Amino acid sequence: MNNNLPPISEIWVYLSGSPLLALVLTLSAYLLGLTVYERSQRNPLANPVLIAVVLVCIGIGVIDMPYAQYFEGAQFVHFLLGTATVSLAIPIYKGFASLKGRMGVLLLSLLAGGITSVLTAVGMARWLGVDEALVRGLVAKSVTAPIAMGIAERVQASPTLTAIFAVSTGILGAVLGRYVLDALRIKAWWQRGFALGVAAHGIGTSRAFSVNAEAGAYASLGMGLHGIAGAMLIPYAVAWWF
Amino acid sequence: MIQGLVQLFLFQALGELLSKFALPFIPGPVLGLVLLLAFLALRGHVPASMDGVGSSILQHLGLLFIPASVGVVLYLPLLQANAWAITAALVLSVVATVAVVALVLKLFAKKDSTP
Repeated sequence: MNNNLPPISEIWVYLSGSPLLALVLTLSAYLLGLTVYERSQRNPLANPVLIAVVLVCIGIGVIDMPYAQYFEGAQFVHFLLGTATVSLAIPIYKGFASLKGRMGVLLLSLLAGGITSVLTAVGMARWLGVDEALVRGLVAKSVTAPIAMGIAERVQASPTLTAIFAVSTGILGAVLGRYVLDALRIKAWWQRGFALGVAAHGIGTSRAFSVNAEAGAYASLGMGLHGIAGAMLIPYAVAWWF
Repeated sequence: MIQGLVQLFLFQALGELLSKFALPFIPGPVLGLVLLLAFLALRGHVPASMDGVGSSILQHLGLLFIPASVGVVLYLPLLQANAWAITAALVLSVVATVAVVALVLKLFAKKDSTP
C-alpha cells in the first residue's frame, strides 16, 4: 500500500535520534500519572511520579530504546532539578514567617529525625544482608529527591536508586504517617505536619497540605530544612562512618 | 517571568561556583538555595516574578526526577533480589523517623512555646 510514504523504519530512526521522543514520553507519562492521581482523590498510593516512571520504563522497553539514549533526550527535564532546588528557598522563607519562636525545638527534632532516618534504614538493610550497592542509596532517602540526588553523587551512591528510595519513602510516609501520629497521640497540627515533612519530604508535604494548611506549611518547612541540613551533614557523616 | 527565571539561574550558578571552588562536599544547588534564602531575608519579601516561576517549578517537582528514576530499569535484578529487605528497611525507617520527630516536638514544645 503506502508506497509513496517513507518506510516506517526511516521515520522511526529520525524520531528516536531527536530528544523529542524522550521528552514527549516523559511529559505524557507524567500527565497520565497526574490524571490518575487526581481521579483517585489524591491517594498517595496513586503517586503520579511512580505511575510515570513505570509507564516510561514499559515504554522504552517496548520500543527497545536503551536507557542511556532515553536519558540523553530527557536531560532537558533533568536539568531543571538544580533550579527547582534553588527555588525551595521560597517556601522555606515563607515558612519562617509562621514560626512563632519554635525554631529551637524544630531544629532539635529535625536533627533527631535525620539521624534516626539514616541509622534505621542503613542498620536494618545491613542486618538483613542487603547488597552494599543498594545500602548506599538509602543514605539520603528521607531528603527531598532533587537534593537527595545531589547528595548521592557526593557519597558514591547511585542517584537513580536514591531517587527511587526517596519516592518510596515519601509514599510510605504519606500512607503510614497518620497511624503513627495517632498512635503516639500527637494532636497539634504543626507537630504532625513537621514530622511528615522531615520523614516523607514532598509527598508527605502534599499529604499534610490536603489535611490542614498549618500542617502543610510546617511540613514544607520540615522538608526544606531537612534538605539543607542533609546536604550539609550527610556527606561528612558518610565519609566518617562508612 | 523571564526575570524570575534569570534570578533563579543566577543563584544556581553562584551555588555551583561556590561548590566547585570552596565547598566541594555540598551540592551546588543547595548552596544556591542557601544564598537565595539569605537574599530573601535581606530583601524582606519574595520578588513577584521569582515567586511565580519558583511556584510553577515546585508544583511539578515530581516531573523533574522522572528521567533519573527511569534508570531503575538498570537495577531491576538487584532490587528484585533484595525486595523484601529493602521494603522492611524503608518502612521501619519512615515509621521511626515520623515517631522520633513528633515525640521530640511533643516533649520539648512546651518549654519552647505554646501553640
